[in-house]
Amino acid sequence: MSLIRAEGLTYAYPGGVPALDGLDLTIEQGRRLAILGANGAGKTTLLLHLNGTLRPAKGRIHLDDTPVAYDRAGLLAWRRRVGLVLQDADDQLFAPSVFEDVSFGPMNLDLDEAEVRARVEAALAALDIADLAERPTHMLSFGQKKRVAIAGAVAMRPEVLLLDEPTAGLDARSAKRLLATLAELEAAGTTLVFTTHDVDMAHRFADEAALFHRGRVIAHGAAKAILTDAATMDRAGLDPAGG
Amino acid sequence: MTSTIDRIAHSNRWRSRSLVEKSALAFGLLAVSLAFPPWPTAAGVLAVAFAAALAAGVSPGAWVRVMAPPLGFVLTGAATLLVSVGADGIALAPDGLSAAAALTLRASAATAALLLLALTTPATDLVAALARLKVPAEIVELALLVYRFLFVLADTLAAMQAAQEARLGHVGWRRRIRSSGLIAAALLPRAMDRARRLETGLAARGWSGGSLRVLTRRAPVSTAGLSAVAATLLALVLLGMTTR
Repeated sequence: MSLIRAEGLTYAYPGGVPALDGLDLTIEQGRRLAILGANGAGKTTLLLHLNGTLRPAKGRIHLDDTPVAYDRAGLLAWRRRVGLVLQDADDQLFAPSVFEDVSFGPMNLDLDEAEVRARVEAALAALDIADLAERPTHMLSFGQKKRVAIAGAVAMRPEVLLLDEPTAGLDARSAKRLLATLAELEAAGTTLVFTTHDVDMAHRFADEAALFHRGRVIAHGAAKAILTDAATMDRAGLDPAGG
Repeated sequence: MTSTIDRIAHSNRWRSRSLVEKSALAFGLLAVSLAFPPWPTAAGVLAVAFAAALAAGVSPGAWVRVMAPPLGFVLTGAATLLVSVGADGIALAPDGLSAAAALTLRASAATAALLLLALTTPATDLVAALARLKVPAEIVELALLVYRFLFVLADTLAAMQAAQEARLGHVGWRRRIRSSGLIAAALLPRAMDRARRLETGLAARGWSGGSLRVLTRRAPVSTAGLSAVAATLLALVLLGMTTR
């Protein structure tokens, strides 16, 4: 049984710019799925569909083989299971301190205070930022903000974590550390779906890859095979790994 | 300057002390400095406020730098008391010196008292405390969001300015005015974009349009702290009473 299945998603931004054009994608549980494609291929648009932020003009999304509902209760249940981390952490952090910001998601789940506290502390520990708990969000470095933003999603204990370019803008060592943290989350049972422009990173880290081109998936399968296949990669406008 | 206060407020030793203790001390000092003759009570308040700031880990240099701008206003105001304008023109005012000294002393003491609160408590703690004083949640949340995004927008502004300067956009006042206008015009759509993406991020964490609830960690009020505040204020009040 697939965890998330998208069928024939079609979406155009206001102004008529097509972003998704009959896209199909199946996400299995317990995988690390990398989504690659040139700029404007529709990667971020897909992530926004996978947690119900955007609603497709055509096509549908299934969670556990059940079509999703876009009403308030449906969206809440959906987002409890599927977390999203935006590319720019500054778009996500709004509370005065790290602890408060990370507590926002669990508070929206209507958990009691002790449970919220426990989840925040666990998420901060998982992201290795327990020492930043009292730090004001505007006094964090770029990499720290990124970790806090991820902790904000992790504290909700989602089954799937959608990450938009998690390593973009990080220096090599910070990127490596973040990937190690994400690997631990995956080992603990979280399915990871992330977009990236870093083909070599995806080759090392992901076990599945999906190539996007003009709003469609043109290849999806084992990362090692797809990302080294020069002809397929070229069709997506990308250079193969290790080149 | 604001960022100096902000930085100190977040990193001082009294940061985690209860807001009740800190505001009791600050407003208590303010009340004492206003209620009694400036000498010697206000001088005592000034000394206590300075000592408290040092105890909180504020460096004397930083304290003086933050005190300087309001003190500038105080001195300008006090200077006008030195002279009197009459039918014969401008003359030195009788008792002008002592009046000016009294005003300077009282105003600096009051400023130092409030500054003690500003230096030891982040603005966000103060705003959050308003919610407990029954200020509507919408107003408090809005203030906190404004505070948060002030820094984000300031970064954007600095980056845009640097980009313009790199392309000689600020050479000469005519170009400077034009470039600044362009920035102001560009900043609004950026802020709107940012707001839209923030909404996406909040919704992804289960927010559905209501109040922005977070779990705040509040420092417990310590009896020892409150007693120390009460003892200090009492000593200053006695000082004021005996010299009245």
